[in-house]
Parts: sequence; C-alpha cells; structure tokens
Amino acid sequence: MGRAKTLPRRLGLYIAALVIAVYSAFPIYWMVVSSLRQPTELLTNVSLIPNVLSLESYRNLLELTDYPRHFMNSVIVAVVAVLVTMVFSVMIAYAVTRQRIRGKKVIVGAMLYAYMFPPLLIAIPIFTIFARLGLSDTLTGLIASHLTLTLPLGVWFLWGFFKSMPFELEEAAMVDGCTRLGAFLRVVLPLALPGLITVAIFSFLLSWTDYTFALVMIGSDANKTLPVGLASMVGSFDLRWGEIMAGSTLIALPLFAAFALMSQYFIQGLGAGAVKG
Amino acid sequence: MSSKTTIYGFLFVGLAVTLALIVAPAVYAVSLSFYQMDSFVGAPKWVGFANYVAVLQAPEFWHALLNGAIYALGSIVFQVALGIGFALVLNEAFPGRNLVRGLSILPYLLPTVVVILTFKWMVDGGIGIVTKAVEAMGLPPINWFESPGAAMASTILVSVWMWTPFVTTCFLAALQTVPQSLYEAARVDGTTAVQRFFHITLPMLKPILTVVVLLRAIWMFNKFDVIWLLTRGGPVGATENLAILSYRHAFNLFDIGGGAAIATISFALLSVAVLIYFWVFPLEDD
Repeated sequence: MGRAKTLPRRLGLYIAALVIAVYSAFPIYWMVVSSLRQPTELLTNVSLIPNVLSLESYRNLLELTDYPRHFMNSVIVAVVAVLVTMVFSVMIAYAVTRQRIRGKKVIVGAMLYAYMFPPLLIAIPIFTIFARLGLSDTLTGLIASHLTLTLPLGVWFLWGFFKSMPFELEEAAMVDGCTRLGAFLRVVLPLALPGLITVAIFSFLLSWTDYTFALVMIGSDANKTLPVGLASMVGSFDLRWGEIMAGSTLIALPLFAAFALMSQYFIQGLGAGAVKG
Repeated sequence: MSSKTTIYGFLFVGLAVTLALIVAPAVYAVSLSFYQMDSFVGAPKWVGFANYVAVLQAPEFWHALLNGAIYALGSIVFQVALGIGFALVLNEAFPGRNLVRGLSILPYLLPTVVVILTFKWMVDGGIGIVTKAVEAMGLPPINWFESPGAAMASTILVSVWMWTPFVTTCFLAALQTVPQSLYEAARVDGTTAVQRFFHITLPMLKPILTVVVLLRAIWMFNKFDVIWLLTRGGPVGATENLAILSYRHAFNLFDIGGGAAIATISFALLSVAVLIYFWVFPLEDD
C-alpha cells in the first residue's frame, strides 16, 4: 500500500474510484435534482445542473397529496417497531448469553433462520391471522408484521454483542448487593448502548423501507405508509415525476442523515450482515 | 427476585412474543396449504394435498422456479464480481477514499420503492436522462420492459445496483484481514498483480465469499418487492418467480391455499439453503 506507484497505475486507480462514485451516486443525485427543478422545466430540460431551483414539486406533494399523512404513519410504525424490538431482543439475547439454557443453540439458530425468511412467505399467513383478529388494515397489524423482520435481527446482533461483554462487571455489581435486574439495568444496559444503537438504526431502516408487508397488510389509503403510498401515486397521479422524485427524496432523507451522523454504526452493522434484502 | 427468576422471566416473555409472531405464522402457513379458502375470513375446507398437486401440475410453477433461478444467478454473479472489484479499488489509498466508500454504500440504504421509481424516471420513454443520452449517442431506443429478455435484464440490472454495496462492504472488511506480509513476499518473488490476486487475495477471501453467495442466494431467490414494483412479474410471466406467483395466487386469484402451498415449497427450498449455511458455518459454542 505505502509503496510508490507508477503514474499509469495511479491514474487507473483514480478513474476506477471516479467510476464507482458516479455509478453509486448519480441516480441519487438525479433524483434530488429532478425534485428541485421547476415542474415545467422538467419535461424540456435535461441539463445536469438545474437553471432555477424550485420547491414547487415539494409544495404540490405536501399540499395536494396524502403524503404528509403517509409520512406520519411511517414514523409511527417505525418508531414503535424500533422500541418494541429493542425491549424484547435485549431480553432474549441477555437471557441466552447469561444462563446455561438447554436448547440455547436452537433458539439462536431459529432466530438466524427467521432472519433469513423472505417477507412475502410469512406475509400470507400473518395477513390471514390478522384478518381473523380484525387487525388487517391497521397500523398495529403492520407494526406486528415488521417485528418479524426486526426481532430476529435484534436478537442475532445483540447475542453476538452480549457474548463479547465480560460477565465480571455485573457479577461485581451483584456482589455489592445489586439484584440481577438492578445489575442489568444499571451496568449492562449502559455498556450495551452501542449495540442497542446499531439495532435501533437497522430496525428503523427495515421498517421504514418495507414495501412488501405494507402492500399486503394495508388496504385503505389512510393507513398507507410511505413506500406503498408513493408507489400508488404513480398509478393515480398521471405520472408527475417532479412530485414523485420529491417524495422519493423525502423518504431517503432520514436514512442519509442517520448514515452521515452515525456511519460507524452502519459499517459495524453491515459487517454483521444486519440488513436483509 | 432471584437472579434465575429474572433471566427466565426475560427468556419467557421474549420467546412468547417470538412464538406468537414468527413461529405461529410459519406453522399456520404450512397448515393453510392443506385447505381450500376463497377469502381470508371464510371457512377453510380440508383438501389434503390437492393444492400441491394443482400447483405442481401448472407449468407456471416450473416457469417461476426457473425464472427465480435465472434472476438469482444473474444478479449474484454481477453483484459478487462488481463487489470484489469495488472492494479492491476502495482498499487502495487515494485522496477522498472515505467519501467514495461512503457514496458506494448509499444504494443499499435506499428503500426499494425509491430505487425503482428513480430507475423508471431515468429510463422514461419521452424525457428520461438515459433515454436522452442514448438518443444523443445516435443509438436506437432501448425497450427496458417490453420483451421478456429485456425485462429480466432490467430487473437484474436494478438488483445488482442495489445490493452490490453489501458485497463490497463484506469484502472490504475481509481484505483488511489479509496480512500484508503475504503480498510483500510475493512481490519479492516477482509475481504480477493478477497472479497475486488469484493466488493470495481470492483464496483468503474464500470463506467470506461462501457466506456472501449463500446469503445472497437465499435472499435473491425469493425476492418480491423489486420485481413486483418493476414488472409485476411480466411481460407474460417472464420475470415471475415463486414469490410473485405465491402473491398472485393469494391476493389476486384468491386461491389462498394455493398461495400457501407455493410459499411452503419455497420454505422447503429455503430451508435446504439455510441447512447448508449452518453446516458450513456451525454456531460457535461459547
């Protein structure tokens, strides 16, 4: 690495890096640029840099469509799914690592197995069950279905995390008179914070970007989340690309913001295979 | 409260939730495949293996199985090839490397819907940027979705763009564990860069390559959202895989038992792949 390189080789490297950057980022750039063009200009102008920036597409999107409502639905679903995932995955992962439990391998193996399930295969039975329980077309039902994505991920990731945490700290706290629960809440949880943040980020990502479950579970326009809401706009909205690109940009924005602020957690999670798809 | 009570309490509550949400639906899916149901709230009628017989006798099932295999194979080959290439470049030192590494992950963070809509916008027949670029180069317009072959190629193209970062990230992490001394020694022996790649890098990457290919195979084979949003499985079933077929049976044809039977067959195929995964990578005992 540190060796001197010949000029052609260095040039080749720069070109390759440039190609990777353009290949990866151009469609995203184009999405953002299209959302900021004047809708009339969009149909005539394909310059790489827009002449006039305009927020008209965003105004139309937020004032004339159900987008704000779908945005709120998405926020509710993702936030609740994240919270529930964190509580239960911490409980299972902690219990499995801190106690000799028979069938431990079965539990962890089953979680990994569940994590590999394609969403659509589990969507049919879940929808059938929820239809009978009266939970079809509700945000509650959608949240519960998202837990089938996020819970296995959380347990799998935190299992690895707790395994590498020394037992001595909580044992010391318990010798000092803490109960197991006290030691867990005061010693283990704060130390597990980086792991919990990673789980929260990826659970959010899975829930926020989910299309399959939302398509199956939600029927009414009022309960749609962003991915399904936006996709259905294409059919009903006589293809106004400016508004659709504005909607796409707004869905991606929270994910990019989180990535920019917390990229080390992303890299860590991706390294552990934290996103299915 | 004793220590054991707390731990078993945790375990009990956690597993109860998992059981209700994941295990019960999985078992229910299998049982549904033995019933005939015309609506999701109607009374199921036991039909034994009739759904399986009907599904397996339909040519569209075998067609979908083949499509799924072509789609998975095609997208995995290109993801892995590009992912290794990108990782090799991003592992070298150059100014702005962290920026390019960051950019190279972005496609993976985008929701599927956003990727598909942006792709459709870029190749839009009248005013898409790609359409205009093709026009400017004096080439005939590309029909992205009209012919069966083109639709499959477009689906693979979009999938490769979305999931290459997964492969890149895995290989980049693995490359950093290859000891530099191996390369130094090989250089002293006068090897070329190509020889070093095939005799050092690739063998050292083999374990991660196996994980990546297995995981990608498991996920690509049953991919639903990309294909559904891009082509709905068309034209004339050219991009329909088992997941799309299962969805169509359950939600468009209201043949819920048939849909469940296809899902169960997919479960079974998936389980074989997962068993191979566990066999190659047994869970570590701690």
